[in-house]
Amino acid sequence: MNVEVLKSEEYALVSVEGRVDTTNAGEFEKTMMEVIDGGANKIVLDCSALNYISSSGLRVFLIVQKKMMAAKGHFSLCSLQPGIKEIFDISGFSSIFKVFPDQEAAIKG
Amino acid sequence: MNVIFSFLPVFLLLTFLFLLDSFNLVRVKTLLISLLLGIVCAISGYYLNTWAANWLTVDYTFLSRYIGPVTEETMKALVVVYLISKKKIGFMVDGAVYGFAIGTGFSLLENIYFLINSPDQYNLLIWIIRGFGTAIMHGGCTAFFALLFVGGLTRSENKLMVAFPALLLSIVFHSGFNHFPLNPVLQTVLILVLLPFVFLLVFKQSNSKLQQWLEIEFNSEVEILNMIRNGKFSSTKAGEYLKSLKEHFKPETILDMYCYIGLYLELSIKAKRNLMLQENEFPIIIEPDLPDKLNELAQLRKQIGRVGELALEPLIRMDYRNLWKLNQLIHKEVS
Repeated sequence: MNVEVLKSEEYALVSVEGRVDTTNAGEFEKTMMEVIDGGANKIVLDCSALNYISSSGLRVFLIVQKKMMAAKGHFSLCSLQPGIKEIFDISGFSSIFKVFPDQEAAIKG
Repeated sequence: MNVIFSFLPVFLLLTFLFLLDSFNLVRVKTLLISLLLGIVCAISGYYLNTWAANWLTVDYTFLSRYIGPVTEETMKALVVVYLISKKKIGFMVDGAVYGFAIGTGFSLLENIYFLINSPDQYNLLIWIIRGFGTAIMHGGCTAFFALLFVGGLTRSENKLMVAFPALLLSIVFHSGFNHFPLNPVLQTVLILVLLPFVFLLVFKQSNSKLQQWLEIEFNSEVEILNMIRNGKFSSTKAGEYLKSLKEHFKPETILDMYCYIGLYLELSIKAKRNLMLQENEFPIIIEPDLPDKLNELAQLRKQIGRVGELALEPLIRMDYRNLWKLNQLIHKEVS
């Protein structure tokens, strides 16, 4: 897993690459918490290079969503690969998160 | 002061256990029912013990050391068995909390009885021992029965073989406590220190098992369901196995099995999703078509029959935990 964070005045763009599973969910959560603690009011998670996510990874998404909601901020996902989107649709998580087709739409949304 | 010492510790420990449930498996309504049923156990236990003591003509010491532990632990254990039969308990964590609540209800009434009937007979130390020791012992014994029973059910389907040793252990522990092998104060302190520590360890282990269960099953279920929906199921090992059943079952039963697997996976994924949402204090999602799907699953299970279900065991085993999981969806739907 590789995570890159790009911060601007309006938002933080987090790009996650590879797999988010039990072995690295903790590390991913730590990075996301650092972004939140850094005061980002809007976080866009670019999942275009994310090719696998387990329930541990989904749990981190939920934790981030919860923290952002509590801080009255925004958390959105974009560019989900078809396999990952299928997981969200099958499990019904699509209705929990704001999912956008691309980065541009997520930043505007 | 007597009232505070006799009631407060056990309720504080119950609250502590309730807060340890990070997946929010414990429902307040069932918790209150458990407390109430514990009170009912204490009333029944009083009459049963009185009758047994008269019938066997034994003194109070014999009654409290040998008869009381058997009747009382059996009655409290029956409540745990009832909750399990109603699919209200799924894991060791919620089992232990409900078990402790049953014991709390039991000790609540027992202490009220002592307070009303002999308010001046006992000094403050006795009430401290009753509140910190006896009451917590009642909760602890039933909690351990529930822990052992639920833990055993995940390994064996023979309920009796699982329940009996668990009950025996809780009776031995209760009887051992009533023998006061140590100084009563020391015994109370030991219970007060050891029991929360043991619960912490067990809860930690149970939580990690629950996480593993979610992690492993959730991913594989999503993967298989994905393949079913994309028409790729028959190329998987599970699909090949289903095809091999063609020789033994009618084509319509095979079709039902195929539908059953798909529907079960979908509902199972949704039940686990709700568990994850609950863990993070999000409102759970109940899809409008959920009741129909649950009914359909029950119908398919009936049509496949017991033999068909046994044949599907390598793919889906409707064990205790899987039935509980689906029951969570029903429960949420109703409430």
